[in-house]
Amino acid sequence: MISLSDFLIVSAGLFCIGLYIILTKRNAIQVLIGIELMLNAAILNLVAFGKYDRLNNGGQMFALFAIVLAAATTAVALAIILNVYKKYKTIDPNNINELRD
Amino acid sequence: MHCVSTNILITLENFLQAIDTLTIRFALAAVLLPLLAFVINFCLPKKSNKVAGWISTLAILASAVLSVFVFSKVWNQHPVHQQQLWFTIGSTKLYAGVLLNNLSVLMLLLVSLIALPVHIYSTAYMKSDENIKRYFTWLSFFCFSMLALVVVDSLVLFYIFWELVGFSSYLLIGFWYTRPKAIMANKKAFIMNRIGDIGLLTAIAILFVVYRTFDIDQLFGANALVRSTDFQLPGGWQYVAFGGIFLAVAAKSAQFPLHTWLPDAMEGPTSVSALIHAATMVAAGVFLLGQFYPMFTGQELTILAIIGLFTAFMAATIALTQNDLKRILAYSTISQLGFMVMAMGIGAYSSSLFHLATHAFFKCLLFLVAGIVIHEVQHIKDEYKLDIDPQNVLYMGGLRKKMPLTFIACLIGAIALIGLPLTSGYLSKDGILIQAFEWSEGKSWLFKLVPIGAMLTSWLTAFYVTRLVVKVFFGEFKLAQINPHIKLHINDGGWQYKVSLVFLAICCLFPLFSLNPVLYEHAWLLTGFPKITGLDRVNIYHTIIPVGLNILSLFVIYWAYAVYVMEKALPLPEAGFLFRFSYHEWYIDKFYNTFIIKPVLALSKSARWFDRNIIDGFIHLLQRTGIAFAKVAEWTDRYIVDGILHSIAYTVLGIGNFARSFQGGKVQYYLFSMLAIILAIFLFKTLF
Repeated sequence: MISLSDFLIVSAGLFCIGLYIILTKRNAIQVLIGIELMLNAAILNLVAFGKYDRLNNGGQMFALFAIVLAAATTAVALAIILNVYKKYKTIDPNNINELRD
Repeated sequence: MHCVSTNILITLENFLQAIDTLTIRFALAAVLLPLLAFVINFCLPKKSNKVAGWISTLAILASAVLSVFVFSKVWNQHPVHQQQLWFTIGSTKLYAGVLLNNLSVLMLLLVSLIALPVHIYSTAYMKSDENIKRYFTWLSFFCFSMLALVVVDSLVLFYIFWELVGFSSYLLIGFWYTRPKAIMANKKAFIMNRIGDIGLLTAIAILFVVYRTFDIDQLFGANALVRSTDFQLPGGWQYVAFGGIFLAVAAKSAQFPLHTWLPDAMEGPTSVSALIHAATMVAAGVFLLGQFYPMFTGQELTILAIIGLFTAFMAATIALTQNDLKRILAYSTISQLGFMVMAMGIGAYSSSLFHLATHAFFKCLLFLVAGIVIHEVQHIKDEYKLDIDPQNVLYMGGLRKKMPLTFIACLIGAIALIGLPLTSGYLSKDGILIQAFEWSEGKSWLFKLVPIGAMLTSWLTAFYVTRLVVKVFFGEFKLAQINPHIKLHINDGGWQYKVSLVFLAICCLFPLFSLNPVLYEHAWLLTGFPKITGLDRVNIYHTIIPVGLNILSLFVIYWAYAVYVMEKALPLPEAGFLFRFSYHEWYIDKFYNTFIIKPVLALSKSARWFDRNIIDGFIHLLQRTGIAFAKVAEWTDRYIVDGILHSIAYTVLGIGNFARSFQGGKVQYYLFSMLAIILAIFLFKTLF
């Protein structure tokens, strides 16, 4: 029997891997993949905690919505990355530093 | 009747007063005209040399004419005295004015009459000098000071003009200021005269403190304050005042021990020597004695007589061996001035002033002659490029054939200086000698030395004057003997020379002073002064002295002639002590150099050393300490005070930069920071 904490550990691992990818990668697409990993870690948590709601399956439903939303955000993010590339001819987030003071 | 006579009297009084005012005005004009010439000359452009000469000469000519008028109005009539308030200090009122009495009008006439030929002479004598304008400017200034000196009535003014006379003399001695000797000479003259000035100032101050007035007429006039018994000068102060006046006289009239400036003053142009150092400025000292005469006591007069005699004798012995033409004349001037002071001392007041007047004429004449001779020798020197001193009599000789008029003029002047009959010098000098014998009558034998010394001096005078004339005018021209190719084309010079010489030569003869050529008692000049003694032919002296003196003088002249023309043995061997003593002017200058000038210089050097090393050293020490302190303060300021501020600033900057580094604009850093902060908060929460 797989216990809840095993799920949570996998989820936390996924989250950390995603976080690491976000912080270290030099490619916006990879960063996006990191985001997806973190999102999936959150969804995994939702599904894992879903066993406490057997009647309505609220957790699973929430996960479905989240997956859809994730797909939508990914589309938007990809569009942004495309525009960024058009403007800067690069998608390395280190080189896009117009946010600085 | 009474009314009419009163009216007439008043009218007469007004008339007399009007004449007096006119006289005063004329005297003032005579004094101020040279000043005007001075001002005009001073303002003239630099190149107007000829004009300057004639302006000064015209001014002095006008002064001379006015002086003759003033003289004729005042001489042996009532003295004229007018003054007005000058200024007031507290309750003391100071008056300034003009006092014309017999003494002052005599001096006024004498100065302007002597200055006139000197001016005319100078126009020719100085004509090749490029600074002739400056020369006449100062000459006019000198005449103004001297003329003003004799007519002022206040001791303050008297002192001012006394100083101005000394100052203009200083300027004229140093006229050729590029010559170091001239500069030395005028410095010497000025310093010596300053010594006298201090004396005069002291005397004036003492007189003012006691009598509360500067008025010469009140002090020394007919009712002289200084003679009144109510105001006796306190014992000590009388001597101080006398000492001061004596110093003043000794400095101006070149009496021992302050006489050494006069021979050196011969560095000035010869015409200046003639005017200032023979006839007028040096007479100021005797004039001062004449003015202050009433205040001297018998003892003081004796001192004057002894000093005067000593000066006369010393200068005469020095003149025996000098070779510089002008120096011989300078010493003869000192000697004659000694005679005048001696005459004042023995009470021969009027004879002293008489000698002053006659001496002025013949000494001026002799100097002008010397000027012409030197001028011609200078020409020869320049023409043949000889290396000689144009004033040295040893190079001259035989000039009488080339310059007959100059020779005759010189002869007249020389005879007058020796005091042979028919000249003015005879009248005045023999008068002094006779009175000297009368004075010593009835006194101890020591006092007899004074007239005997005076007689000896006049024989010495005869000797050196003959030597001078013989060396210059007789024999053969020495330069021509050394360099046979020298051709003499010298002559008496232009009309300016001749006019001056003839005028002065006539004034040296007896008719100007007395119609009787042998009896001095009849000279009109002697009647003008109150102290007439020895004018009655009461004793044997009046006959025996002139006769004996002049016969011996003739022998002395013949002796000198024999020595120098026939070239028999010298009276004194040149190696002998007496000769050297005389030649080195009694070693007085050397004495002053060793015992006064050197210590003074040493003193000033040590003072300078003290100033440089001790006072300056102390100041430098202070300065260095200050600098060291400042350096420490600077270091503190730079490294400690500024250091604190800078370190604060650096800290702030570092913190800022550290904070800024988080704002790199890199998205991943922001994320990292967020993560780090959240982790930190969690850690914090977990631990505490």
